[in-house]
Amino acid sequence: MYSEILENEHEVHEKIINILGKRFTTYGYKRIKTSAFEQYDLYSNVRTSINQNEMIKVIDYTGEVLVLRPDVTIPLTQQLVLLHDNLPEEMRYYYVQEVFRQTFQESERIGKTQAGVEFYCESSPASDAETIMLACHALRDVGFLDVKIEIGYAGFFNELIADSDITAEQTAELKMLIQAKNVVEIGPFLQQLSMDPSIKEVLEQLPLLYGAPELVFKRLQNLQVSELAQDAIKYLQRTCDIVELYGLKKHIVIDLGLINHMGYYSGIIFQGYVENFGKPVLMGGRYDALSEEFGVKLPAIGFACEIESLVKASSNKGQKERYSIDVTVLYKESRIKYAIDITNELRERDYRVISKPMIDTKHQSDSLYTIQLTEQQNKLVDQEETKEFIDFKQLLDFIASKKGVPEWII
Amino acid sequence: MDYLTVAMAKGRTAERAMKFLEKSDVYFSEFTDESRKLVIYDDKQKIKLIFVKAVDVPVYVEKGAADVGIVGKDVMMEDPRDVYELLDLGIGRCKLAVAGYPFTPVENIPFLTVASKYPLVAKEFFDKKGIRTEMIKLNGSIELAPLIGMSDVIVDIVETGTTLKENGLVVLQELADVSARLIVNKASYATKTEDIQQFIKDMKEGLEVRS
Repeated sequence: MYSEILENEHEVHEKIINILGKRFTTYGYKRIKTSAFEQYDLYSNVRTSINQNEMIKVIDYTGEVLVLRPDVTIPLTQQLVLLHDNLPEEMRYYYVQEVFRQTFQESERIGKTQAGVEFYCESSPASDAETIMLACHALRDVGFLDVKIEIGYAGFFNELIADSDITAEQTAELKMLIQAKNVVEIGPFLQQLSMDPSIKEVLEQLPLLYGAPELVFKRLQNLQVSELAQDAIKYLQRTCDIVELYGLKKHIVIDLGLINHMGYYSGIIFQGYVENFGKPVLMGGRYDALSEEFGVKLPAIGFACEIESLVKASSNKGQKERYSIDVTVLYKESRIKYAIDITNELRERDYRVISKPMIDTKHQSDSLYTIQLTEQQNKLVDQEETKEFIDFKQLLDFIASKKGVPEWII
Repeated sequence: MDYLTVAMAKGRTAERAMKFLEKSDVYFSEFTDESRKLVIYDDKQKIKLIFVKAVDVPVYVEKGAADVGIVGKDVMMEDPRDVYELLDLGIGRCKLAVAGYPFTPVENIPFLTVASKYPLVAKEFFDKKGIRTEMIKLNGSIELAPLIGMSDVIVDIVETGTTLKENGLVVLQELADVSARLIVNKASYATKTEDIQQFIKDMKEGLEVRS
């Protein structure tokens, strides 16, 4: 039923926000909010990946053009610049807010809820690794098992082609080929361009510089790159080493061909993927240069994820999340007192419980467990088996041994 | 069990792709020429093949409904999608070309009426030459358009040229070489890296045996 889907979706939505908020807090982040309306000029003066015509514009009574908050990072950075003229100490903020962007696909919603963190700190592999850890940790908390974080380096590509004499059009085409990992066409395309053969070789290899860190760094050793690019690689390698210390080895993938949505990013960039969902659910990176556009140096790294995508991705996960009720208690009239006792006790322990008289034994269950109380016996039924229990303690043991705590709390 | 979902259009390309995979011991014995099934599994239950319309293959892959797709380069050119394009299968080779009556001028003229299944590709091609165009999007029997005077030229796939010849038309200019490509969803490539790389390897082996 549609109403049920709707209800369920909102419930999951709230649940995910709670989970993320809790996790961000444990890493020392404080919640902040930004204004719903921002100056249009703020966005026209800054290099960003948000397209100007995606913004929802509003005109106030003085005739000034405002936009409905299209992102949080830019206004937050601008506000901080007003308060600080250098980086006094580390600052950690998180937000959960709606952002508004016009999409040109009718099926997409204009307003989406974004949850994200901004970590204002000096650029260092340790802080970048911790932020990547937080991204992964948060996604795992939401319940995804197969989390993959792709890590790239925003300046790497630009550094490679910095000294080459190629047109903007050629650069755009080259970027497109690299983003598509189009190993078939990139070779012939590079041949037409006039640039250093050693750079050509690196560019041709770029789509293949993908995979486990040790693999990618080994391949990089055989390639000749400039000193600046070399520094970028070292930074990336150090970051990956620390990420591995966090125990994330199997969750990370290096992708030096990751060069889309660069906008204001300058160093490490990353994207998070989860099982059975075709788009990234999380994006972030280091944006040291953004604050400099407002005249102050406030280096930072951050990421954001869209709650709607996470809701969709977790609904793809299948059965486990389907139940909105943990236990249904069915009782024969004579057992009503015991049924009420059990129901109370379970609710005290935060399980979601419904109790009702047993009318038809072929009751279609939409809960994880069903308890049947008849004159003769007490039964606990789940999808796999039926168990008899004598007292409440035994019942609780059965439930706890299978499921532990109620799933909606986490 | 998690399948690797592969989208392709029914027809010769699909059959040849399946032949390639047989070289690596991946069999689809469920599949027969007359079968009208839209979803089939390989004998080891690792790969799920879905048959969709060719122009829809990139959509399925971009949205993640399929992890991998096999589709002609012509489709990718007309409707570019945010996917990885990892392999040229070298099958379904043909050319995208401008065709029309012999000696129809296609250089140094101000204006052309063009009928095509690929209006975006065609428009970009003529824009670069500085020729303004009126595009007529057609979905089939493109060759008819110049015959009945609806367009000056057509932009279409040319394989053997037989259809053109029988209708008195010739290739005037070539736009691009086309062949079947293997495309991959970006998220799948991150989460199912090993399965996909194995699939590509299997495909490649089939390719090498052939050549």
